[in-house]
Amino acid sequence: MHPTASESASLIVSRGLSKAYGGNYALRDLDLEVRRGEIFGLLGPNGSGKTTTIRLWLGLMRPTRGTATIFGHDCWAGGLQVRRLVSYLPGELRMPGSLTGLGVLKFLSGLRDGEGLDRAEAIADRVMGLDLGKKVRKYSTGMKQKLALAQAFADPVDVLILDEPTSALDPSARLDVLNLVREAKAVGQTIVFSGHVLSEVEAICDRVAILRRGRLVHVEDMHARRRLRMLLVRFEGDQPPPFPEELELTLRRMRGPAFLLEHRGELGPLLRWLATVPVADLAIGTEDLHALYDEYHGPDAVDDDEDRAR
Amino acid sequence: MKPFLTLVRKNLHDARWSLFLSATLLGFLGWLLVYVASRQETRIRQALTSGEGFNWVRRMGLDADPPSIEIMMAFWNHPFIILLVAMFALGRGANAVGAEIERGTLDMVMSRPVSRSAYLGAQVLASSLGILLIAAALAVGAYAATYYNVLKSPPSFRVLMEPALNLAALAFPMYGYTLWFSSMDIVRWRALTAGSALTLAGFIARVIALIPVFEESWWRPWAEHASLFSLYNPVDAVSGRGHVGQDVAILLGLGAGFIALAFLSFAYRDLPANA
Repeated sequence: MHPTASESASLIVSRGLSKAYGGNYALRDLDLEVRRGEIFGLLGPNGSGKTTTIRLWLGLMRPTRGTATIFGHDCWAGGLQVRRLVSYLPGELRMPGSLTGLGVLKFLSGLRDGEGLDRAEAIADRVMGLDLGKKVRKYSTGMKQKLALAQAFADPVDVLILDEPTSALDPSARLDVLNLVREAKAVGQTIVFSGHVLSEVEAICDRVAILRRGRLVHVEDMHARRRLRMLLVRFEGDQPPPFPEELELTLRRMRGPAFLLEHRGELGPLLRWLATVPVADLAIGTEDLHALYDEYHGPDAVDDDEDRAR
Repeated sequence: MKPFLTLVRKNLHDARWSLFLSATLLGFLGWLLVYVASRQETRIRQALTSGEGFNWVRRMGLDADPPSIEIMMAFWNHPFIILLVAMFALGRGANAVGAEIERGTLDMVMSRPVSRSAYLGAQVLASSLGILLIAAALAVGAYAATYYNVLKSPPSFRVLMEPALNLAALAFPMYGYTLWFSSMDIVRWRALTAGSALTLAGFIARVIALIPVFEESWWRPWAEHASLFSLYNPVDAVSGRGHVGQDVAILLGLGAGFIALAFLSFAYRDLPANA
């Protein structure tokens, strides 16, 4: 089977990837591509399939159906080659408490032929401010997470998979991590960022996938989203004026005489058009990722039939 | 090769306390049993000659006027010795996979470029070295004691190592089947319980087979052959009687078979997040 043009630009490719336990699907028919050099966000509540996806990509679990490849290596059959190219930060982090911080870094880099130890020490010591001589059992949860992050960012790999990397960190450490993610992208690494803090995902991701109950329900281009404007407009008179096609206005919702419109183009033509139509009231704003997330996971989110049938 | 050696070093580090305690206790037991043999040697010889008393020693195949080493080895069937070696083997087997998943530390290792066979191979190598070391500690303790206790014919260290190797071989299948259970599981207790139950069943089968009342029973040979413990014969190992080489080969073969099953089970299973 030859890869398509988009697949050859993609680094991680999943085709119909599914994982079932008995009759219950933890992940179903995932078709997803992560492109080289991008920061890709994975969003969804607990149990939505994010961690299952990551574990399938790492070759820790065998897919029930479908395939996943990283750099063309099958994630299950070629798991070892895949893990040579990938560094992973688990969401629930456990470390051997009897080792010192430096001992853990030496152990983890030893499993990668000793590569990245100097850099891991430097990040842990200077950026994260950890005392590497202390036993890990005396570290707080946040300190352990910092130690694992130091190792993940130090690994000489092409792909970083970070599962909730900031969950146990204080605000300043979170900023450090986001900066490290940006630095990793700048040197050409591809990053998969799974998290629950939508503002962080919004701030750094190029694209975001939203999962619900083991299904991929939406992929959003964050660059396009950052250009998105929301217009809440009320026109005078009974009938609204026709929307010019070149403005690419999309009607999101209509409530009485008020229209909620999406706009992704240049601002000038929009303002010029608004000056020519009878506007009674107008508000222009942006929409954060939370609004998109709530469409699938908010209190008003509607289950489709297939979801209910699972 | 470096990831494999890193794992072996880490496994030995993890096992260091149980290794130290087991080796120290077995070394002490080795010493103590030489002391006991030294104090009882004359009485045992008289009993073997007269045919009265010390029947349990006679049942191990000791004739009149045996060498001191055979009298010493009669005590190496002590349940404490077997218990210490079994505890180490069962504990290491149960810790290998199930406990690592339960603690959540397996993710840290298996998300690195480490193959499953390298992971399990490092476990097997470190545990086998540990089993050999604690069995050797028994021989070392006994050998050291021969300098401080009077025996009619003190044995050499090489002779003492033969029953020690038989003891290590006895632990090998125990480690093997517990490792197999662990390699399929996500918690420690289940593998440990299954391994302990199997070991205890083998021990009970051996004890029942040795009870004189059942000597003529048709099922006695079956019970004896069903037990691993019938392949551990320290007296035969030093006397040259019996077929200790064959027994050790069977024990090692059984252990290797169970370990091969563990490799197969581990290679094709899912590795879930911590249980």
